[in-house]
Amino acid sequence: MVRLLNVLAIAALVSSAIYAYSIKYETIFRGEQIVRLHQQIKSEQDSIAMLKAEWEHVSRPERIEALADQFLNLQQPALKQIVPITALPDKPDARLAAQSIAPPPAKGADGKPDAPSQDEDSNTPRNPHLAGDETTPN
Amino acid sequence: METDIEKDEDVNGPPRNAAPWLLRLFTLKRDKGTRRIKLITLGFALIYCVIAGKLIYLGLHPELRQEVHQNASDTVAAARPDILDRNGAILATDIKVTSIFAEPRRIIDRDDAIDHLTAIFPDLDRRELRDRLNSRKGFVWVKRAVTPEQRQEVYHLGLPGIGFMQENKRVYPNGPVAAHVLGYANIDGIGISGLEKYIDGEGLADLHDAGFNLTNEDLRPLVTSLDLDATYAVRDELAKGIDKFKAKAGAAAILDVNTGEVIAMASLPDFDPNNPVDALDPDRINRMSVGVYEMGSTFKALSVAMALDCGKVTLNSQIDARESLRYGNFTIHDFHAQHRFLTVPEVFTYSSNIGAARMALMVGVDGHKAFLAKMGQLTRLRTELPESAEPLVPKHWGELNTMTIAFGQGLNVAPLQALMAVGALVNGGIMIKPTFLKRDEEDAKKDAPRVIKPQTSESLRYLMRLNAEIGSARKADVDGYFVGGKTGTADIIVHGRYAKDKVRTTFMAIVPADKPKYLFFTMLDEPQGLPETGGYRTAAWNAGVITGKIIARAGPLLGLAPRFTPPAEPFPLLAQLGYTPANLPAPGSH
Repeated sequence: MVRLLNVLAIAALVSSAIYAYSIKYETIFRGEQIVRLHQQIKSEQDSIAMLKAEWEHVSRPERIEALADQFLNLQQPALKQIVPITALPDKPDARLAAQSIAPPPAKGADGKPDAPSQDEDSNTPRNPHLAGDETTPN
Repeated sequence: METDIEKDEDVNGPPRNAAPWLLRLFTLKRDKGTRRIKLITLGFALIYCVIAGKLIYLGLHPELRQEVHQNASDTVAAARPDILDRNGAILATDIKVTSIFAEPRRIIDRDDAIDHLTAIFPDLDRRELRDRLNSRKGFVWVKRAVTPEQRQEVYHLGLPGIGFMQENKRVYPNGPVAAHVLGYANIDGIGISGLEKYIDGEGLADLHDAGFNLTNEDLRPLVTSLDLDATYAVRDELAKGIDKFKAKAGAAAILDVNTGEVIAMASLPDFDPNNPVDALDPDRINRMSVGVYEMGSTFKALSVAMALDCGKVTLNSQIDARESLRYGNFTIHDFHAQHRFLTVPEVFTYSSNIGAARMALMVGVDGHKAFLAKMGQLTRLRTELPESAEPLVPKHWGELNTMTIAFGQGLNVAPLQALMAVGALVNGGIMIKPTFLKRDEEDAKKDAPRVIKPQTSESLRYLMRLNAEIGSARKADVDGYFVGGKTGTADIIVHGRYAKDKVRTTFMAIVPADKPKYLFFTMLDEPQGLPETGGYRTAAWNAGVITGKIIARAGPLLGLAPRFTPPAEPFPLLAQLGYTPANLPAPGSH
């Protein structure tokens, strides 16, 4: 009886030691992982901050204005072009609406505007992607 | 056992009166190895002595090991919060850069290190680097903020005593736009001017000094009142205007009259906060808050408001402007002399010096002084910007001073101060201190004092609108925005007397005049007359034109909806008093 108890105690000791060690190594492993992830997060945050600063730098109004002057064939918006939503004409009735909506898919299903070559002034070099952009040069 | 102890005691001779158990603890059984044991004991004792000695030595000289890190965390550029515009665009932020430092004591071959480092950084001065590496300091910077490639090259050199450290570098993505508001921070992350200095004053510096290792993510960004797009537009139009009219310098701003927020501000020439080598050049001061100037005729708005508010005149009063006003040997002339009685609106639209002086005299010196003090024109205006200037107030303020100050001569104030006062004149009569931080109207008006009656404020709006329709502010009357404005042209004092050929022109405009939201301001230093302006250099021809362009360009950016039908009843209080549309400006009469 006593011998059995001893054996059991030794078995319990060994298994608890193994368990404790496995927990310990798991903890160390997790700890290292946490540190690594923290470092990763930090470096990601740093690069996000860097990219934000860079984005802000490349999208600064000064540069956009210069690019717009160079590549867009648009002029400064006049105040007359700005109207409140109430000043818009009434919605045409459904039949008319269907007619007016129908033509565009025939030109291009993707909804992109026509190529600039169809415009009256094809002599100015223009970026076809920017040409149809609604962005105002401001 | 007992005998052994006795013998041992005899040999070593410990005091006999010591407790026996203590003795037993320290006695060894004598055998053949006693000598050897003694030797080993001695050996261990020596080792412990050495360790103890070293500990004492390190304890007495703690800086030896920690010095490097201590110095580094003192000098490394601290994190600063981002500065954002009112819509969230970044005006200033931190980026991480690597800096290279050296621990001179640990460098083995200095000449070799200097050779290699100067090969990688050609801009490093050899002699200066040698001096730094020869210093007795534990820590010196070799080069701040290096590129990743340079970092890699230095890393591959594998020089002992050379290390890398992550640092924060302050960047201003928009360059000189809003430079005067932002100020700048130096390479150690300490705010030197503008809002950067304000941030330090608000407790950031204390936190850093207390040793908190803050990161950029811990700090709440500072949201300013500026609108980046509008600020750029203002600066751009001002720069074009200065170029066109060959002015020496200029300043422009947009103020939200209901919240006191400065929406845009530019003062040219300015500087690039990313490279602020010329930021301290006296020509590049912030003309809006650091420069004090005679505001010229724009000050007449204050004089007219004062006379109306005191009830000394009404809009129908007639002011004698038949001939120049003499006081002692001083004569006040009108630039557009009419030689007749003028009504109050005419005094305003003809910008009559005589009329303004007479109105101020009706109120009297003390009343005038008290009114200007109430309007904040006699004391230094303090905003978040650390840079401010005291107005130049005449020491002995007599009747003559009151007469000249009434039309903007003899009292120098900062333009921002004048903006604050005109803002109060048109926003319904509430004095709101300008701010560079975002806030809402409720917050702004919480403890803002009322300085003039709502009716006076409406009269001022009416006068400024009238001036834009038929008076000197026509050049800024942007169709669709119902602009009101006032010009000001002041001769510049050179060597104590007014120079006839040098002027400073100012222009103030309110948009829209029936319910003002924004106050636009432009100032030009020594603009020249151009052939297309008929040689005129007065404010209407330059500052007025620029303000008009700024309004047309910044208005849509600020979300101001243009209206092409004039408001049905722009001035309801005046209408109640019997000022029918007959004596209101006819819409579109310009």
